[in-house]
Amino acid sequence: MEKEHKHKKVFVQGPISPDFVAKSIAGHQSKTEIGAHAIFLGQIRADKKADGIVTGIEYSAYEDMAEKAFQEIREAAFARFELICMHIYHSLGVVPTGEISLFVFVSSPHRRAAFEASEYIVEEIKANVPIFGKELVGEGGEYVWKENN
Amino acid sequence: MSIQVMYYGMLAEIAGQANEVWIADQNLTVGEFRNQIMERYPAMREKKFKIAVDQKISQDYVSIDHASEIALLPPFAGG
Repeated sequence: MEKEHKHKKVFVQGPISPDFVAKSIAGHQSKTEIGAHAIFLGQIRADKKADGIVTGIEYSAYEDMAEKAFQEIREAAFARFELICMHIYHSLGVVPTGEISLFVFVSSPHRRAAFEASEYIVEEIKANVPIFGKELVGEGGEYVWKENN
Repeated sequence: MSIQVMYYGMLAEIAGQANEVWIADQNLTVGEFRNQIMERYPAMREKKFKIAVDQKISQDYVSIDHASEIALLPPFAGG
């Protein structure tokens, strides 16, 4: 069984389109050892803040360190779970509310590994990857720096 | 020695710049560097941040001699 451990670029400018997600799924039809995909999509929520409603998040990152952190997460997930392949994409720049900023896609022979790996990867990204976000509020250029819990 | 210091997120706003060259004494540790930073930018005292030395988050006792870049990282917000 061949596993993809190679380094891959994670960051994309702006939102991740549903069309891109669909094409990624279609790209796996030839990998017939896969029995289960798990997909996590992070979507920008219109939270209410003191100065108005969130209209989007503007992401930035310490890109070199972040790419390394993503690679470490990939390696750890491959070591821990029975996975055939794994794809992670995260937005930089502005992502409006209702659009997708994170796409985690893991494939395994069986569902349990796929479920568990996707949760593990998302939690690791939130805790350990140097990505920063401004929550854009209202129409007047206000913003609040976002902080993961 | 001189070190490239990079500021991210709200810390870049406080510093008024994304990076600067820091002239430092030999044998500087992360903890001493943190104190110097907060002296230069008092508003950072109120902020939570981690310090990465050559892209690795480092504790206060770590020496930053021979480091090529130091980054000040506010709370992460990915996802």
